[in-house]
Amino acid sequence: MDDRLRETLSAMMDDEADELSVRRLLSHGSQDEVRAQWQRWQDVRDLLHDGHSPAHGVDVSVAVRELLDGRTSASARSRVLRPNTNVRRWHWPAAAMVATALLIGFGAGAGWDSSDVGPLQPATAAAPEPEPEVSTQDQPVREIALQGLDDEQWEYMSRYLLEHAQHNSVGAGRGAVGYARLVSANGNGY
Amino acid sequence: MIIRKALSAVSRNRALSLLMILVVLLAGPMPVAAGEEEEAVAWLNRLGPALNMTSYRGVFVYARGDRVHSMQIAHRYNEGVVEERLVLQDGGSGEIVRKGMNVVCVLPERGRIKLDQVIPSGPFAEAFTSQLVPVSRWYRAEMKGGDRVAGYDVVTVALSAKDPYRYSYRLWLEKSTGLLVKSHVRNARGEVLEHFQFTSLQIGENIPDSEFEIRTRGREISRTLGEPAPQASAVQRMDGWQLGWRPDGFMPAAAPRSGKGQAVAFSDGLAAFSVFVEPAGAVNMPTGASRIGATTIYMHKVWDKGRVFLVTVVGELPPQTARQVAESVRIENALALGAGGS
Repeated sequence: MDDRLRETLSAMMDDEADELSVRRLLSHGSQDEVRAQWQRWQDVRDLLHDGHSPAHGVDVSVAVRELLDGRTSASARSRVLRPNTNVRRWHWPAAAMVATALLIGFGAGAGWDSSDVGPLQPATAAAPEPEPEVSTQDQPVREIALQGLDDEQWEYMSRYLLEHAQHNSVGAGRGAVGYARLVSANGNGY
Repeated sequence: MIIRKALSAVSRNRALSLLMILVVLLAGPMPVAAGEEEEAVAWLNRLGPALNMTSYRGVFVYARGDRVHSMQIAHRYNEGVVEERLVLQDGGSGEIVRKGMNVVCVLPERGRIKLDQVIPSGPFAEAFTSQLVPVSRWYRAEMKGGDRVAGYDVVTVALSAKDPYRYSYRLWLEKSTGLLVKSHVRNARGEVLEHFQFTSLQIGENIPDSEFEIRTRGREISRTLGEPAPQASAVQRMDGWQLGWRPDGFMPAAAPRSGKGQAVAFSDGLAAFSVFVEPAGAVNMPTGASRIGATTIYMHKVWDKGRVFLVTVVGELPPQTARQVAESVRIENALALGAGGS
């Protein structure tokens, strides 16, 4: 089956195929191949839409051909409505296989990730400190505007700022910057 | 025949050359990157000693957003003693003079900075050299080439945080001494939160004694700072409370004692944060985060057996990290925190 016929089949699924293209598809030498392709795509569509289309497992080719030829028969209608039980049996195993493959895929990925991450976090592994909520990092932090503080609150806060400036002189050796931060917080400057 | 041999030799040589180029191309970047990181770390190791042991004077600016402040600084290392004088250049007049562990502070009465608050916060370079923290484990260190700041040739070191718990830095260090002459602190989006830079600088000059004398008229307060506490005592200072979480790499820092007690400082070798825990007092403090440049002040209240405690985290941390640290504090002994008797 060439690309043009696949395109026609795809258009038929979207109900957009023109008559000439459908006739060409139905006159294709290997109708089994066309049916198999149609059913595979229907299976995929069912999986994506979490359901199954009424067309699944149904051989519509004869009915379509007859309709195109202007011959509508009861036999054709009955054939259209009779489900192809052989194909249907394959539907759920196929879905299960895809689902299993996805699970195995993710599982394997998770396994690789964890083995990679392990050595990078020795401190976490060594120290049994409780981890904080993961979501906390993403949640917005409530902001307090310094301008909104009254004198007492400001004094309270500036005491911490000052003590930290002292601590910071140890950590980063940049005590002058810590002091500049305090002066800046105090509101002067240009 | 000779020509064919010669051609064959040329061909072999060309193949060999191509192979060597390929080897260099494939193997080249890794040693260069590793070497670059080693070079950056070597420069960082010079930073602390340079801040203490270099003599310099100049004017630096500190900018955050649209606010800019400038200060004059004179610093010398004389017979093992650090002497320093900082003078405010804008706003009210004021200065801080330090000789060893003795600090004299003169600040204007106006404004909201109280003298007795400033005194315990010796804003001076201290025992950075004792912090043997492997900075490159938490930051990706890169050399960003040369530049020129305040008339001096400098090297630029970029330190990109490897996790979202800390900020990234860019440091400009003077080439011959390693003195920090400019710095940027950036958040994860690459925005510069604060900018420190010398606008004028003289390094290595003999600075006369007169430069370290107090010149501002005003109320003076002098005090002697306590010796830095040994690192082990940081845990002891957490009397009655425990920190449940902190970002990897932040170790208890040897901080000078500052009187009030329940404060512990942590540093990853570059950034630092302090945690304060005390019973909530008469002042009703709001809870949440305030930011001053790269510094976050996060206030959080903890209830324990009917008593309220105020947890304050101050540091060069993203607000989310400061919140996580604050929220991890657990009160274990309210009495040890001074909440008894009420």
